[in-house]
Amino acid sequence: MTTSSLINDPAVAEFVLAFADDEHMVGARHAEWIGTAPFLEEDLAFCSIAQDELGHALGLYGLLTNDIDRFALLRSAGEYRSCHLAERAAPTWDDALIRHWLYDTAEALRWGALVQSSIPELASLARRALREEAFHTDHAVMFLERVVSAPTKPAIEAAIERLLPDALGVFEPVAGEARALELGVVSESSADLGRRWAEATVASLAALGLVVAWPAEPTAQAGRTVREAGFGEFLESLQAVISIEPAAIW
Amino acid sequence: MKTYEVFIKKSGKDEFRHAGALAAPDPAMARMYAREAYLRRAEGAEFWLVDRADLILGDEDFVAPNADKPHRHNDGSSVAARRKRLRLEEQRVDEQRVEEQRQEQQRQEQDQEAAR
Repeated sequence: MTTSSLINDPAVAEFVLAFADDEHMVGARHAEWIGTAPFLEEDLAFCSIAQDELGHALGLYGLLTNDIDRFALLRSAGEYRSCHLAERAAPTWDDALIRHWLYDTAEALRWGALVQSSIPELASLARRALREEAFHTDHAVMFLERVVSAPTKPAIEAAIERLLPDALGVFEPVAGEARALELGVVSESSADLGRRWAEATVASLAALGLVVAWPAEPTAQAGRTVREAGFGEFLESLQAVISIEPAAIW
Repeated sequence: MKTYEVFIKKSGKDEFRHAGALAAPDPAMARMYAREAYLRRAEGAEFWLVDRADLILGDEDFVAPNADKPHRHNDGSSVAARRKRLRLEEQRVDEQRVEEQRQEQQRQEQDQEAAR
């Protein structure tokens, strides 16, 4: 099997799809804060992060299909492989900020396990993404550092406890992962990444002076085949424009 | 929140130019926000941020005493105006002299005519 055809292995494609859908959903969820983030500068920075995530999704989908728009938007809910942390709505800024922090710290580790990928396009995508993730994680930590002092601290802690099960669910082993590891597409298993993430997150919580119930039971996602409760409505909103005329060429 | 003035420099020999301002709680956040708000699309290669509170201001009242001193405008325009005035004067004198000579000649011709 040549390197360039590795992506044609159904198991490898399934593995890449999970990450692609995560990036797509979290980018789209972040983008919901356009115009409503706490102040203009933060609005711009947060939406810049959203665009970066959508850019990552674009790169990953591009490995899987030539018809990215239809593939990204017009599958049925059951065909998506995103994790619940990426899919869930963040109705408050607390949730949006904490999801951003939990997701991006996990995402940075996931890209790190792809920089040596046997798929060269994936490795190069990972190198670019990691540069952007340095900004994303810096942004999340800097913002958190500035809001963890009372009186906002209890709300932050509550948001972390609310989102932690979904965050742990990011590292639920993905279909095709064993094969992807075997073929050198990825260098570290979800379980190993999850352990490293948990250690780093516990250390961050201590550094931030936050106290939350730890550990938590990861959200059951049945190998990412079960969607988050609000996903149907969310997908419908994502499809609102493209479904007006699905055959249109944009 | 503090207000920071943003100065952007393109690559090469361009100078830093004022691009606008932004609000941020402190320098570290301001640095990040400046990049995302002002240099998202390669508008420049580097930037300076200055806390507006650190600016030393010279407002209009302070500058006003120097607003009405035309004699300090050494851009050459007053010299040029004076030279033009003198040139015109000289021209007028020349034209007058030519006119006097013409009249003198006319008189002489009339005298010669009368003598014949």
